[in-house]
Amino acid sequence: MKRPAAVKELIEELKRLPGIGQKTAERLSFYLMRGEKERVENLARTILNIKEKVILCTNCHGITEIDPCDICQDPKRDHNLICVVEEPYDVYVIENMGDYRGEYHVLMGVISPLDGIGPQDLTTEDLKAKVGRNGTREVILATNPDMEGESTAIYIARMLKGAEVKVTRIARGLPVGGDIEYADPVTLKKSMEGRMEIET
Amino acid sequence: MPLYKTQAIVLKSMKLSEKDKLVTFLTETHGKVKCVAKAARRLKSRFGASLEPMSHVSLIYFGKEHQDLYRLNQCDIIQSFQDIKENPDTYYTAVYFLELAGHFIAEDHPEPEIFHLLVRSLREAGNTDSSGTLCRLFELRIMAHAGYTPRLQKCIVCHKEPKSLWVGFSYSQHGIVCEPCFDKEPVEMRIKSGTVNYLKKFLSLNLNHIRRLKIPKDVELEIESITHRLVLARLGRELKSYPFIRQMAEMTRT
Repeated sequence: MKRPAAVKELIEELKRLPGIGQKTAERLSFYLMRGEKERVENLARTILNIKEKVILCTNCHGITEIDPCDICQDPKRDHNLICVVEEPYDVYVIENMGDYRGEYHVLMGVISPLDGIGPQDLTTEDLKAKVGRNGTREVILATNPDMEGESTAIYIARMLKGAEVKVTRIARGLPVGGDIEYADPVTLKKSMEGRMEIET
Repeated sequence: MPLYKTQAIVLKSMKLSEKDKLVTFLTETHGKVKCVAKAARRLKSRFGASLEPMSHVSLIYFGKEHQDLYRLNQCDIIQSFQDIKENPDTYYTAVYFLELAGHFIAEDHPEPEIFHLLVRSLREAGNTDSSGTLCRLFELRIMAHAGYTPRLQKCIVCHKEPKSLWVGFSYSQHGIVCEPCFDKEPVEMRIKSGTVNYLKKFLSLNLNHIRRLKIPKDVELEIESITHRLVLARLGRELKSYPFIRQMAEMTRT
């Protein structure tokens, strides 16, 4: 028996989402079909909302519904401290930590020569302008500790060399709960380089 | 299902689903190989930093013979080339090497000479100040290993050694043309015979001695336009990382 065109269309659309294959898409489609109309409408509306209401903050390039975003507007935060991250999602990962009180700057990617992405494709110039304008005290480079993240961090550090600002890089090394026995030489070397004195 | 054990250079590493990575290796014994590294994106992954591009690793993977995708079992770092990755002057050159090697080697097609050339070039990239010269040498050597050595000894028309100060270069015929034969074979570029001597030297030079080579600026520019155009002619398109090298060179000059 042939499936109705609307069901087929929904399956095809769901399959485009990351991590969803044919079987999962079919299961979700039939679940939505069986569910109450109100709930389906609610889901459709919330999906549309993220495209209609969510914008990028003109100051930090993070995602927000108001411009500037809550973090950039918050008078209790330290606006002379900027944490540079790769993607808007990284802002929420750091915010979940609950210990950082500065503001953010989202690069919207990393320098990746193998993918043809250069500094001009990122928001590095905005960062440079922001640092010069605001009298920033410190810029924390929190890009991923992989090849692209490292090269992006080095590029930004070079770019801000002339500016009177302290540029720091997040620590790299062993994860909490990790095991030295299984650590690779690069990670071990980084943890040795980044060792700290224990305050007693 | 056979288990393969070999050395490799990580050419590319990309995210795959929630926690996995899809890694492309240039192996010593099996050419280019793509492997899925399960749970490699987890913070406590056993693969650690070994799947970072440019790393020289010892590799164990398994899968059916001649399939497209293998499963990675173990990957240990032999040399990480961390110093190259942390220096923008050498980083872009090394990334260009990876991209070039990836394009010249087919999957499951062993090219041990190209693998060793890449390892030696990466080692040298961290030591040399003349990354431009190393880049030209790599371009010429990789093409030679892939069977595209330009004909530099004799004129491709009269088959005699050129005596003149200037010679022509024919990209379509992949070789040099002496001055008297210019009207018989159209040449795309005129170069000094001294440049041809450098090109010949590049084909035989021990990579450890590259630091001793002092090339005049004008000759270096001629060599660059030749080797890069030869690469373009073979691949049919510009590599994504090449404009970054040019950009870095211009930034260094200014």
